[in-house]
Amino acid sequence: MTIATKQAQPFARNHLIRDASWQAVYDAMRQNPSVYVFGEGAWVKAHYDAPQILKEFPDRIVTMPISEDGNVNFAVGASLLGVKPVVDVITADFLYRAMDSIANTAAKVNFVRPDQPPSTIVIRAEFLTGGPTTGQRPEALFTHIPGLNVVIPSNARDAYGLMLTALDTPGVTLFFEDRMIRDDLITQHNGPLWLAAKTPIPLGCASWRKRGLRSGVTVVSYGLMLQQTEQVLSSWKFDGDYYSENNDLGVDLIDLRSIYPLDWNCIRKMLERTGRLLIIEPDVQYAGIGAEIAATIAEVMPEVRVKRLGGKRATIPAAQSLHGEMMPTEEQIVDAVSNW
Amino acid sequence: MSTLLATGSRTLTEQMVLIRAVEDQLQELCLQGLGADLHFSKGQEAICVGVCAALRETDYVVTHHRSIAHAIAKGVPLEPLIAELLGKAEGMNRGMAGEMQMSYPAKRFMFSWQLVGTCVPVAAGLAWAVKNYLKTDDVVVVFHGDAATANGQWHEGVNLAAVQKLPLLLVCEDNHLAGNVRPEHYQPVDSVHQRMSGYGLSGITVDGNDVDEVYEQAKRALSIVRHYQEPYMLECDTTRLGRHKQGQGDLRGKDEIARLAERDPLKGVDQDLRQDMEARVAQLIMEVTL
Repeated sequence: MTIATKQAQPFARNHLIRDASWQAVYDAMRQNPSVYVFGEGAWVKAHYDAPQILKEFPDRIVTMPISEDGNVNFAVGASLLGVKPVVDVITADFLYRAMDSIANTAAKVNFVRPDQPPSTIVIRAEFLTGGPTTGQRPEALFTHIPGLNVVIPSNARDAYGLMLTALDTPGVTLFFEDRMIRDDLITQHNGPLWLAAKTPIPLGCASWRKRGLRSGVTVVSYGLMLQQTEQVLSSWKFDGDYYSENNDLGVDLIDLRSIYPLDWNCIRKMLERTGRLLIIEPDVQYAGIGAEIAATIAEVMPEVRVKRLGGKRATIPAAQSLHGEMMPTEEQIVDAVSNW
Repeated sequence: MSTLLATGSRTLTEQMVLIRAVEDQLQELCLQGLGADLHFSKGQEAICVGVCAALRETDYVVTHHRSIAHAIAKGVPLEPLIAELLGKAEGMNRGMAGEMQMSYPAKRFMFSWQLVGTCVPVAAGLAWAVKNYLKTDDVVVVFHGDAATANGQWHEGVNLAAVQKLPLLLVCEDNHLAGNVRPEHYQPVDSVHQRMSGYGLSGITVDGNDVDEVYEQAKRALSIVRHYQEPYMLECDTTRLGRHKQGQGDLRGKDEIARLAERDPLKGVDQDLRQDMEARVAQLIMEVTL
């Protein structure tokens, strides 16, 4: 059975990633009777987005109040008896309301019970681009906290595989879905694959999205910026490497997929060949995951040249016409890739 | 090991005397710099002893940072408990948890947490899993202080437990203090259990320093929770006779402490029993610390 796909709502550009993660939850529920969904409006969401789950497992979809902090603590309590909760916090901005229960409770619970069966908890939230408190990308904050894994799929296949893995990984995994990723571009590059290859994807395992034979630049990205970078590069010439008219440097593009743990082996292996690192992140660049990658690479591979592009450290305006200014533009990406 | 120290065979009075003896001697270790700043229950022992005596062995306990007395009352063996409090690898959580995050699921002492209020929604989630996942008729007891009812987590947790109709007994250890702060700064109601009415729930206030009354009322409260599958509060009026924690001062004067000590649940207990217990505990702690 496949979770029925529906068109995305007007405020979001995709449903493929959503459907794929629901599919993974459904498949995990069939395999494991301890998987439950606890979410704000969970029953209604499942009714629209995953009716098959509601039909087969109505008692395992638990509708929670709008009390994010309490809901995560509640899930921790249930996990002490073996329940594997998927906690749906809905929007990434709401994670700030659950910061205490995530950072102080969930992240520590396995550590303080070293001889007990570990808790497995998935906390799901999505990115929009809507306004001051509806569009923040706070993922880097969570990579700073011991006890948390952080994954951000850029396509449906990865969403499926990462959710499956998260539900089988002791500890807490924050699972982000970026609603600004375009379905039509996923379909073009990496859409229906997840239906054919329903496999788990290990945490901390990046994927090569483009790999040239004589590349001179390694671009590391994830989520929305991965897709936008890929879109920029797709208009370049290709003869085993990617070139533009003004640029003779071929490009490797890495999709991190999980930003904690990070796939350092993949990044270093690529840099041994290219010697140039460009990190493009959708989160605020200041003190973001790119800063961690840049600093670490500077320490262990001092010969590598490093550049970063990322979101501005600015509040997101409500006016849609201004949203384009929040993240790196196509021109900035081309310039950063080409000019070293 | 003396039979007096074996779990399960102690009288309520012996249980309280044991807790007092363990905490008093841990306090000495703290003052010598051998232990951390622990949070003791001196003067509040009757609550956890009375409530835990009324529990089935299979019922669960969740609690807050002042957890040592609760662990002993729920039957956690003393050696791994004391080792944990002293930061030893032989501790029940290998020294990773300390007093404020320790747990011992073999005795269904499930969870304790430093942050005030956190224990309530966690206990609600545990009660949800007992009822809907394990599908047993066991009850979860969560201990919290009166000061915790000013925290959002207490309210979110009680709301969740009420909506989900969970077998959760809230035991409020009402010592009329938030650290060193008086209730006028955090409690706008006369009795804590009044707050339960905001969630369609109820509770009762009892003398938390009378172990027999606590035991009898806990029996009654537990039967309500188990039978009706809804939360209930046992509000236990009590007196904290020691400091908030060992490394912190106490703003209360000697006169006030002396007045509170009139209600000490161990008042009038046979001195021979106390001295005997102190000697046995001293021996035990020496064995653990060696």
